[in-house]
Amino acid sequence: MTKGASPAITRSRWFMTAFCFGLGLVLLAVNWLGGQLVGGLVSLAILTAFGLLISLLTPHSETVRGLTTRRDERFAQIDLRATAVAGLAVLGTLMVAWMVAVAQGRNGHPYDWLVATSGFTYLAAVAFFRWRG
Amino acid sequence: MKNLVRTLRTERNLAQGQLADAMGVSRQTINSIENERYTPSLPLAMALARYFGVTVEEMFDDQGC
Repeated sequence: MTKGASPAITRSRWFMTAFCFGLGLVLLAVNWLGGQLVGGLVSLAILTAFGLLISLLTPHSETVRGLTTRRDERFAQIDLRATAVAGLAVLGTLMVAWMVAVAQGRNGHPYDWLVATSGFTYLAAVAFFRWRG
Repeated sequence: MKNLVRTLRTERNLAQGQLADAMGVSRQTINSIENERYTPSLPLAMALARYFGVTVEEMFDDQGC
């Protein structure tokens, strides 16, 4: 029943804090390279605070625990569905942005590439899971 | 899907959390199965049936879903 559950490292309560802090450091470095140190520091602070909040909520919320440290099959399904919904939202937004750009006489970059990437990724995923599923 | 999980669990004086621990899932998952909001995977359904000593068909009623 626990097949597909999170690896041991992600079951640690503080994994999200460490992950968000690491991501914040990457954003800090990227912003620094772009000459926006303040923006990077703000990103680091926001991400660290978010990770800390999740870690602090973990012992008190079964939902947070299910989505972070103790993922079972139902939470894995919830996560998959939520990811699909988020992906659809992004794809829909990209398509609208692309159409607006084209309607305004622009060439639609970079939305056309992003929409195409989404479409090809979907087709590749269908082909893969048809083969592997 | 209609099922006998709650009936069998309460007959054995088990809390949802205890059954969840035995099955390696969360208490919310057991609660969702009992309230027919979540249909468990085949491995989990088989584990539940084995745990209570009944068949999957006895525990889950796919005609009433």
